[in-house]
Amino acid sequence: MLSDAHYRAVVEFLHREARLADEARYAEWHALWTDDGVYWVPATTDPAADPEKHLSHIYDNRTRLDTRIKLLQTGHRYSQEPPSLMRRLISNIEVERAENGEFVAASNFILAELSVQAKHEMHWWVGRTTHRLRLVDGALKMSQKKVVLVNAAEPLPNLSFLI
Amino acid sequence: MSIPAPLRIDYKTLVQDDRIHVSLYTDPRIFTDEMDRIFARGWVFVGHDSEVPTPGDFVTREIGAQPVIMVRKRDGDVSVFLNRCMHRGTMLCPAASGHTRTFACPYHGWTYDLDGTLLGVPYPGGYASFDKSAHGLRAVPRVSSYRGFVFASFSRTGPTLAEHLGPATRLIDRSCDLSPDGEIELRAGWVKHRCAANWKALPENDSDGYHLGFVHLSLFKTVRSSQYQRVVGDEKAIKAVVRDWGNGHIEIDWSPGYEQPFEWFGSASGPTVERFVAALERRDGSERARRRIMEGPAHALIFPNLFLGETNVAIVQPVSVEECVHWHTPMFWKGVPEFDGRLLRMSEAGMGPASFLMPEDLIVSARNQAGLHASSVEWLELARGLNREYIDAEGRAVSHVTDETTNRALWTHYRTVMTEA
Repeated sequence: MLSDAHYRAVVEFLHREARLADEARYAEWHALWTDDGVYWVPATTDPAADPEKHLSHIYDNRTRLDTRIKLLQTGHRYSQEPPSLMRRLISNIEVERAENGEFVAASNFILAELSVQAKHEMHWWVGRTTHRLRLVDGALKMSQKKVVLVNAAEPLPNLSFLI
Repeated sequence: MSIPAPLRIDYKTLVQDDRIHVSLYTDPRIFTDEMDRIFARGWVFVGHDSEVPTPGDFVTREIGAQPVIMVRKRDGDVSVFLNRCMHRGTMLCPAASGHTRTFACPYHGWTYDLDGTLLGVPYPGGYASFDKSAHGLRAVPRVSSYRGFVFASFSRTGPTLAEHLGPATRLIDRSCDLSPDGEIELRAGWVKHRCAANWKALPENDSDGYHLGFVHLSLFKTVRSSQYQRVVGDEKAIKAVVRDWGNGHIEIDWSPGYEQPFEWFGSASGPTVERFVAALERRDGSERARRRIMEGPAHALIFPNLFLGETNVAIVQPVSVEECVHWHTPMFWKGVPEFDGRLLRMSEAGMGPASFLMPEDLIVSARNQAGLHASSVEWLELARGLNREYIDAEGRAVSHVTDETTNRALWTHYRTVMTEA
């Protein structure tokens, strides 16, 4: 059973996670992950996509996720230096509780990214996200974030910000 | 309405031995000319045999600006057809890949067999006489492959693929021979990375060894691996070289700098690696097998659009004078599927819009493109290394990895192709 309080906590987490990503607050966003976190952005919209067989845009275990954050924090990740200006809207949220107690939240997003590292350009990113959230010492943390872009298989501009 | 006169662009003036003109990146007339002279006449990489393993399998690509279908026919051969119905021009196949028995046009129902034969035209009474054999799909006249890499040319005559590749086949060999079965397989799907720059920026950057310590500083500061550290630092201590293989085929060879096997693979040990090495030794003997695992796969550009990106295959796709797309997929080594996962993760780390290398390359390319609009400065410098490059025993120009020997080789071949009668 999912209580109203649980639902509200999950939605608040999604909103906070989105804001930290939008504002390039790398350390705070990084702290939202469990130690066994998996960050996955498939390169296809096929629901049968298997990251052990098919190429992904991102398939980070915790070690690679740490590297991703460190790169952004060097100040020399020129594809995000300075960081893109971003705001994303999250909607159509559906929350379930998995057998292991984790919350599984599916949601749609639309993200406006103003890329400012070369010619200034607005990029629009749209997709569906699945979060797996686990209670760790009373606080929710992400154990998985999967982002399926509607144009995952099409030519994409740089995606080195936090999607 | 008259057909415009042929362009008279003087490429011999625009491409000089030590500098090139800004218009080569910004003039839409030159882009149109390139789509004709380079992509609609010369040999162009289309895809790999392993992408269409069984009859009816197809992938769609573009050769320059022209959409094509690469399909496995019933006789087992691969053909490349223009992706348009011969009636009114409708694109037959919008899917990136798939499997089919026929190609049917959705507009008026014309249907073609896998070999391009026109099978049926609905309501044939509307034609006094109709020769179906004259309306088959238009095949790209020449299709030829080397070790599974399929190339096509719209020219019925001219150099063969073997003549175009010349000794650069050894670069393809170097990558394929890492598979114990001698074959690579492309079956992971492609990632496509959009770049706001002229298409030539991609082969230039893929073969530029000068930018690494600067463009990729974030990675060098974050990841301490011997593979990376051996190509930055003191100029005299760097042993990697650049090499010109002729016909626009160019290479960065990291291997002179490697001191241990598998440095190109982020080092390797364990039973899987031992089985892999044992399989190579059985085939090649221990000395040649050791050389293969020391040297690793090629880092080379096969003119104009195939990039052998070490454990990846990449395609350079022009879009317009100021836009292009870099495709990539990992090379899986046939015979050792237990490496597939690792090769996937290496691809994702190195290439694509979310990787740890290419976003920096492509943002700098986009900044190049933006900077070139300051066209009061007309020339780009290309002289680095002219003071020290040398010709090796096989007649190839070789130089320090930071030298522009590869870029000059690319442009020299470009000038030849763009001025041929």
